[in-house]
Amino acid sequence: MAEYQIRRCDRQLEGGIHPETHKDLSTTEPCVFVDDPKRLVFPIHFSGGGPGEALVAVGDTVSQGTPIIKCQSGIIHVASRAGTVIDITDHAITHPSANQSASIIIEPSGLKEQSYLDPLVWPFDADTLRDRAIEAGILGLGGAGFPSFKKWSDGTQTLIINAAECEPYLTADDTLMRIDTHSMIRGACMLSRTLDIKTIVIGIEDNKPEALEAIEDALKESRSDCFFDIVLLDTKYPSGSERHLVWLTLGIEVPTGSRSVELGVIVHNPGTLAALSRAIDGKPITDRIVTLTGEALKAPKNVIAPIGTPINHLIEATDTSPSSLTSITVGGPMMGYAVTEFTAGITKTTNCLLARDVEIPPESPCIRCGACATVCPIRLQPQQMVFALKGGSLDLAVHEGLGDCIECAACNAVCPSHIPLAEWFRLGRFEARDQANEQRLASEARERFEARNARLERIAQEQEAKRAARKAKTADALEKARKAREQTA
Amino acid sequence: MIKRPDYPPRDTALVMRMVLIALIPGIVAMTVFFGPGVLFNLTAAVLTAIVSEALCLRLRQRELKPRLIDLSAVLTGVLIALALPQAAPWWLVIAASAASVILGKHLYGGLGQNPVNPAMLGYALMLISAPVAMTTLWINPLTTPDFLTAWSAFLGHSNDAVTGATTLDLYKTEFRALTATEASRNPLFTQAHLGFIYGYEWVALAYLAGGLWLIYQRVITWHTPVGLLTTLLVISAFFSFDPDTATPVWVHLIAGAGIFAAFFILTDPVSGATSPKGRLWFAIGVGILTYLIRTHGQYPDAIAFAVLLMNFAAPMIDHYTRPRIMGREASVKGPGGQS
Repeated sequence: MAEYQIRRCDRQLEGGIHPETHKDLSTTEPCVFVDDPKRLVFPIHFSGGGPGEALVAVGDTVSQGTPIIKCQSGIIHVASRAGTVIDITDHAITHPSANQSASIIIEPSGLKEQSYLDPLVWPFDADTLRDRAIEAGILGLGGAGFPSFKKWSDGTQTLIINAAECEPYLTADDTLMRIDTHSMIRGACMLSRTLDIKTIVIGIEDNKPEALEAIEDALKESRSDCFFDIVLLDTKYPSGSERHLVWLTLGIEVPTGSRSVELGVIVHNPGTLAALSRAIDGKPITDRIVTLTGEALKAPKNVIAPIGTPINHLIEATDTSPSSLTSITVGGPMMGYAVTEFTAGITKTTNCLLARDVEIPPESPCIRCGACATVCPIRLQPQQMVFALKGGSLDLAVHEGLGDCIECAACNAVCPSHIPLAEWFRLGRFEARDQANEQRLASEARERFEARNARLERIAQEQEAKRAARKAKTADALEKARKAREQTA
Repeated sequence: MIKRPDYPPRDTALVMRMVLIALIPGIVAMTVFFGPGVLFNLTAAVLTAIVSEALCLRLRQRELKPRLIDLSAVLTGVLIALALPQAAPWWLVIAASAASVILGKHLYGGLGQNPVNPAMLGYALMLISAPVAMTTLWINPLTTPDFLTAWSAFLGHSNDAVTGATTLDLYKTEFRALTATEASRNPLFTQAHLGFIYGYEWVALAYLAGGLWLIYQRVITWHTPVGLLTTLLVISAFFSFDPDTATPVWVHLIAGAGIFAAFFILTDPVSGATSPKGRLWFAIGVGILTYLIRTHGQYPDAIAFAVLLMNFAAPMIDHYTRPRIMGREASVKGPGGQS
């Protein structure tokens, strides 16, 4: 039995909101597998892990587990089902900032052909585990899709399992913790053993008693020598934000501009750890749990779906006709984004498809009531930032702290003027990054220019010196010759 | 502990409506003690505000409906009406209300754009333009006029028997020659139910109740009222070491617009400071200026001028009172950006 304790979090999230959670909508039905779709879509550049290149060609036959995309970060994405590559073309994709991109289309054959990796046998070192995570395509499955192996640095003291799942409607993590608890615990333990982590913290909101019970049962059976510190958090959005979770569970405030990794703390989503556990056994990520929910779906539930499954196939899995919906939210109502092209496939970071009819009231002018500032979990003054952004002053917004915004959209939820503050901030942050990039490129160009000037000058000087030396030598020789001539004369 | 409501999704119209609801106790108390003139003022001011708003929106070629149903113009009208003398003639009310909406708000771009409090701008403008009407037409709560007297006052025939200066003004003029004991023999004080000032005390209490409800509902925060009232209390208490020359503490707090302004005027989010600490400093500034102008200035009450002056200081206060952002060592102070 692994040692563990359950304690209530003794810190209070400053700001934040209590939105209706609507979690029961998708947790009353059991989690099921969906039938294989007719085709699977894998965006080459937007599957997570950065831009990539296709490892297969049209007409190739693939097995479940065959590498098909290699990303810049090294991450390899595999075919989630056996089948044939029928096309590599521009296709609708599931992504917040791109609608279409080059994608590999696979038609599943329905065969059970698998090409998995060899299981890793303990003991193995951290590098082996990193390589395995790359080959198995392990990304942060919570939504950000950050390549997990990059977080695994030596000197890590604490692993936090982010089981808060504070977004309303989302129950994918909750479901995973109920049905795949052992994998999650095993993944966490394996990672901790390899990186020599002593404490594993599980930050979980108190609205998931079933998951908590499952974790307790799993820990009682586990033979791990890690210490599990289970922290019960008040149900409040956004307690699952990485910065806030680190602060709530450990009391560490991650400084602006740094990541928790630099402080010896790594945070992982339960799904990521479960996937890691399977990767150690040789199975790359081919499926994930997706919450299909929202009032507009007839039978909301959680499903286990192959990566690349088109959205309309999943909508149909809830007995709902895709044509009855005009748009669907990928992710939760707070931080999700709308997708209107339902032929796009889900990616590893698609944790939820949310369909509901929300009427967005017309925007009215900001009256600076400050409700947004009161709920801002990092104490920004959103009303000032949006004022600056609307006035076109990006600098001022950055000065007010735009760079620190976590885009949680709590401000949106309370704004009496219905101003889409978070969208402004997303856009502003994007522009600020762009500007910083441009500045970096400009300064690099200047450096190059200056280096070139210096080099040219150096060459000129060297040539000058050489010339002078040659001149001196010639003069010397002439002098000698003249003297010799004089002597002979 | 009482479970306060969370921040529910509200819209501007609901916020305005809640403020209007919170004003009802104060309006009732004022009508009881100062007569039906209060209601005449309210009606005229609100109608003028709506007409001015519609006119300005039309001139600015904006949609009428969303701005009219958000009740912001109605609220401005109500606030200016409650700030005016209760026996004010109709033209004063209409001019004040129109000035508030047109000059105070739409000249700067309408809702959310005004640098100063519209109602206080209208009030200050009237105080300068019509000083006699603005200082002598206050009802003495001991002689509450009946409907007809109030109506004739509204039409411009004021009755000296029921009107006069405010209690605050009395301290500046008539009571100056008296000792504190002599002044306290005034029937306004001797007949007071609660031992403070007849009539005014109930009005203040009613506004306080409405204001506390707004804090409870999270429409306003405690910073503004606490800042203003504490500052007034501390300064006036400090100077009351000589009771014969100083205006008593409770007169400062409840005789003037103190409570009303603390909860309903200074809390105008558009023209005030925006961070919690900023709101506190803003209110403290208003408190200091109010005391100074009340004591050393020419005008009977000073909230309007104090608010207007502090409105201009609000952006600077905002620059220096940003809260510390999570993950940063210190808060960002001072102005920033290039534009």
